[in-house]
Amino acid sequence: MENSTQESHLRPDNSVTYESPYPLYAMAFSSTPSRILHHGQRIALGSFIEDYNNRVDIVSFDPETLLIKPHPNLSVEHPYPPTKLMFHPNRKSSTSDLLASSGDYLRLWEVRDSSIEPLSVLNNSKTSEFCAPLTSFDWNDIEPKRIGTSSIDTTCTIWDIEKGAVETQLIAHDKEVYDIAWGEARVFASVSADGSVRIFDLRDKEHSTIIYESPQPDTPLLRLAWNKQDLRYMATILMDSNKVVILDIRSPTMPVAELERHRASVNAIAWAPQSYRHICSAGDDTQALIWELPTVAGPNGIDPMSMYSAGSEINQLQWSAAQPDWIAVAFSNKMQLLKV
Amino acid sequence: MAAPPSSRLQSMLQAAVQSVQWTYSLFWQLCPQQGILIWADGYYNGAIKTRKTVQPMEVSAEEASLQRSQQLRELYDSLSAGETNQPARRPCAALSPEDLTESEWFYLMCVSFSFQPGVGLPGKAYARRQHVWLTGANEVDSKTFSRAILAKSARVQTVVCIPLLDGVVEFGTTDKVPEDLGFVQHVKSFFTDAHHQNPPPPKPALSEHSTSNPATSSDHTRFHSPPVPAIYAAADPPVTDDQEDDEDDEDDDEEEPESDSVETGRNSRQVTGGNTQAVVAAEPSELMQLEMSEDIRLGSPDDASNNLDSNFNMLTMGQSDNPADQQRRADSFRAESSRRWPMLQDSFVNSSLQPPPSEEPPLDDLSQEDTHYSQTVSTILHDQPTRWADSSPSGYVTYSSQSAFAKWTTRVDHLLNVPAEGTSQWLLKYVLFSVPFLHGKYRDENSPKSRDTDASARFRKGTPQDELSANHVLAERRRREKLNERFIILRSLVPFVTKMDKASILGDTIEYVKQLLKKIQDLEARNRQMEADQKSRMGESLQRTSSLKEQRSGATVTDRGRAVGSGVGSDKRKLRIVEGSAGGAKPKMVELPAPPTETSVEVSIIESDALLELQCGYKEGLLLDIMQLLRELRIEATTVQSSLNNGAFVAELRAKVRESVNGKKASIVEVKRAINQIIPHL
Repeated sequence: MENSTQESHLRPDNSVTYESPYPLYAMAFSSTPSRILHHGQRIALGSFIEDYNNRVDIVSFDPETLLIKPHPNLSVEHPYPPTKLMFHPNRKSSTSDLLASSGDYLRLWEVRDSSIEPLSVLNNSKTSEFCAPLTSFDWNDIEPKRIGTSSIDTTCTIWDIEKGAVETQLIAHDKEVYDIAWGEARVFASVSADGSVRIFDLRDKEHSTIIYESPQPDTPLLRLAWNKQDLRYMATILMDSNKVVILDIRSPTMPVAELERHRASVNAIAWAPQSYRHICSAGDDTQALIWELPTVAGPNGIDPMSMYSAGSEINQLQWSAAQPDWIAVAFSNKMQLLKV
Repeated sequence: MAAPPSSRLQSMLQAAVQSVQWTYSLFWQLCPQQGILIWADGYYNGAIKTRKTVQPMEVSAEEASLQRSQQLRELYDSLSAGETNQPARRPCAALSPEDLTESEWFYLMCVSFSFQPGVGLPGKAYARRQHVWLTGANEVDSKTFSRAILAKSARVQTVVCIPLLDGVVEFGTTDKVPEDLGFVQHVKSFFTDAHHQNPPPPKPALSEHSTSNPATSSDHTRFHSPPVPAIYAAADPPVTDDQEDDEDDEDDDEEEPESDSVETGRNSRQVTGGNTQAVVAAEPSELMQLEMSEDIRLGSPDDASNNLDSNFNMLTMGQSDNPADQQRRADSFRAESSRRWPMLQDSFVNSSLQPPPSEEPPLDDLSQEDTHYSQTVSTILHDQPTRWADSSPSGYVTYSSQSAFAKWTTRVDHLLNVPAEGTSQWLLKYVLFSVPFLHGKYRDENSPKSRDTDASARFRKGTPQDELSANHVLAERRRREKLNERFIILRSLVPFVTKMDKASILGDTIEYVKQLLKKIQDLEARNRQMEADQKSRMGESLQRTSSLKEQRSGATVTDRGRAVGSGVGSDKRKLRIVEGSAGGAKPKMVELPAPPTETSVEVSIIESDALLELQCGYKEGLLLDIMQLLRELRIEATTVQSSLNNGAFVAELRAKVRESVNGKKASIVEVKRAINQIIPHL
């Protein structure tokens, strides 16, 4: 696993590694600034065990001392691997934090310094009938009481978590919905196995707009990221593709750029939280690439700005506004924080 | 001057444009109700790609061109009416988008535009009662010339707008023609009210008629220069524009708002805060398009079907923004009517952020979908500046030496552990494709007794809501126990059960019932057969005594009566026979438990219900031993049936299996082994 040419680039001052007892997939940074917290920035890690018993652990990252501290009592069970974890986007309190996880249901947990308690389980099936498991969700950072979830039953459900009730449920796509991202308080986009990116406006639920369709029909789009710094742009990745497709919401169907420098399929994308035209992507080629989107593209396509090679395929990438200088990657059972 | 009737207007347009050999001419007419300039008529005089005519014969060039213009207009109408649906109802000789050249497309698109007085080239010309000349129309940005993108693809380089006839006449050409007052005069001459079809071209001595003055031309110069605001320059290389950036605030303020309503926010900040922000404001959508992808050809007829929508979208974008901006500009213009280029700071700060317009005449032509979407986009981008204000605009991501990331190179000799085999995106696919279905499977397994026929009930909630959890759990458990019990009973009724699981029990039961049914059929048949035989035999014997022939075997009563009459002996015989046959007919359904010849121990445990079936040799106190053994195994007998036949002990026990101290329950194998040890074997 040691990759000498790249790993040598790692020094104690520009990277921190956390080794977990099990493989990791879901990852989330808390929005609470680390300076007001005792132990540092909270990071939630979801395990990836092919079994019923999975776990969600909270660790703390202190950017001053560059240490990651595990908290054994901040750990809960989760049925099957959580498909996504996310903290409340605007939490200012230092005592408690809200963590959401998606899996069979949308679950909310209250995270304190020394304990983590389940707060609620949001299940939108009224009867004891099938409630479709969730592939992903997004927490609206303008209206933090709103969470949108995407599910394999082709629907997206918008929750009001303060009331614990469904605000609305839309049949979003023709096939399973794999990811959802908020753009504005009432606008979100979703990607699906039917290969389309669609934008929905809650003010006008009848209409949705397809802003991109994968060139090979029915190639699923697996992930979506909306540039929070510049809402014109979105990024998405296709199944089995090494391309990151950048879309402009003002020009539907025509991608603005296709970033094609990965040597294997891309697994995760994250826009820079502090800059409107940087994006990071990571994939099966064990590389994490940071791209700077130019205003004019060269004839050969766009080259990344910088790159990093991990020891194995990178499955998850998080670039949080709470720690804009650090990018978190997850590969096999390690979580690494890399200084940008 | 009122607008001349259309045929005359068209002929004037035609004449004018043909005389100067420009690409097109069109007339913007002021619509009184709406107060805006809309496309009234036009004449296309440019290159044609595909000629489609209805008449087989040759027509004169002029007529052909006229026809062309009409066809273009028809095409526009059908496109705008039918959205993306390729018009199936249009005559086959009608034009379709693929047939057009770029400049024809430009001409066609012009139909969809409209301008408020003072806004856009036609609007300005109209408002100032003075011609407006734009060279390099294809090179300026859309702020200067809203159709710049279209012009670029059409290679229309010069556009002139002349206020005439209560509207504006516009000419355009693919050549680059510097401003020429003579030209203006010349074409003006075509549009006089007098019935001159071909007025003589005006003499060069134009100075006395000239309506332009140095001040005007300087204004035009300024007008031409693209108002790239300072922040553009800072953040982006300017659009392909060979004119120098005019950082004049007046230009900025005036020209910017044309493209996006977001710019209201930006402009007001700009006005107040100066242009030092490093963050790039929303540029016109078309611009970004051009910069980011060379492949986009807006307004191109070549990729007709797919891009029509996007084209219309683009137009919608243009349109939806235009009126709001136009309004604002008109306001500002009117407010400062004395100066040509009003300082708009005041008016800007005062003007409220306009919401995206919902009802605009140009939008009516375009599809509803686009309206909705453009509203959505406007809302998103509208909110954006405020969000930027919150987030710190600092920091680009720069490569620092401290970074864990290395500078990008294309060296191939990086030692990458690229997975050669194995599926790509394995983990991501597992999370998205497999994990959701695991939840359903788990629920299914967790409540395995739920073999309802209702498919939806298969996916039962594994973790019910807190309020209902207790009730559900109890109800579920009771149900399960009931089912278990019945399975055990079934198991005991059915012989030859091999396995102990429910599927096998049911399967075996089915087999057994089938066998039984078959046997019943056989035996019934045999019964009838035998009775028939009896009857025939009886009939023979009775014939001796009676003259009547009994044919029905079922007429036993009659026989009996006869037989009785004939004597007790025969009666007895008959009865015996009947008994015998009846006895023979009686199916041996349940094999009478033959005395056991071998030891057998059958144990079946389903959850905590157990069934033991035992046959073995007997010894004194065997039952007591068994009960004690069961107690040791923490199995509580609830029903016991035992019998003793010729030294063979047969027992059937139903019991409940309890947990032992360390939480374990006895397993089938354990119980079997234990029992086998204590029983005497035959």
